[in-house]
Amino acid sequence: MGIMWEGLVQGLSGVWVIARIVIPLMILLEIAGANRILERLNGIMARMFRWIGLTEEGAFPVVVAVFFGLSFGSGVIISHLDEGKVSPREVRIIGVFMALCHALVEDTAIFLAVGVPLFFLLVPRLAAAYLCCWGLHRFMVWRERREFQGKAVNG
Amino acid sequence: MALQVNSAMVRNGALKGIKVTLELGKIVVPTTIVVTVLRASGVLDAVAATCAPLMGLFGLSGDAALVLISGYFVNLYAATGSILALGLAPREITILAIMLGFAHSLLVEIAVSRRAGSPIPAILSLRLGASLCAGLIFGRML
Repeated sequence: MGIMWEGLVQGLSGVWVIARIVIPLMILLEIAGANRILERLNGIMARMFRWIGLTEEGAFPVVVAVFFGLSFGSGVIISHLDEGKVSPREVRIIGVFMALCHALVEDTAIFLAVGVPLFFLLVPRLAAAYLCCWGLHRFMVWRERREFQGKAVNG
Repeated sequence: MALQVNSAMVRNGALKGIKVTLELGKIVVPTTIVVTVLRASGVLDAVAATCAPLMGLFGLSGDAALVLISGYFVNLYAATGSILALGLAPREITILAIMLGFAHSLLVEIAVSRRAGSPIPAILSLRLGASLCAGLIFGRML
């Protein structure tokens, strides 16, 4: 019984430490959302997304996933993709980005609370997601170009 | 460009934060209890001894396997519960956080990815591959 009590106390004090970081961060996220910070950053972000082959329509699900996560954001993401305004090649790039990098606010808050430096929580995920998507985009461009040339020669 | 702040935003944000805290509390607290019991009963030592060689590749102790397993299969809240109960060194917690950032809650999130048009084997190998590579790199660097 003493052991379970020890675990309970440890768990509850951990939750309290996390709450002190998660609640202020959620307030900041709410203020950022209400002030349309994302829309204001759109110009800068649009260019960065173009380098990995995403149009504005394709960038939207990625932004939702990065800020709100796959479970909170899944409804919005899936219905946006189901509307069919995003090309199949963009769906593949979005899939890779979302898989490696999402819920950057919540996931980061949890690990910040147990003492992990911010740099290690944000930079590896963003860099890996961006580089993988860039590589995939370049590969798909190269393949499309080769197919096109092949057709031109045979035709 | 001035930021607008009002009490409704603060209240909504605080409510969301409390909701997340309650959600994670429901998982973190039971996990810490289970892990504390596993540790006291010696079960954890047996698991740790088995996993030690593999975890050594990532610069982690055998205990850390429990954090990776709970993160991969359940979610980050369960992983955090295990971290709290195990009392790992900050360096190990950082390596685990980086590895788990790439791959976590796989059962639920792979289903979401699939629904969003990505095939399961591709996304699963991408995420686990990134997680293990990050472990190899940061396990040596840190």
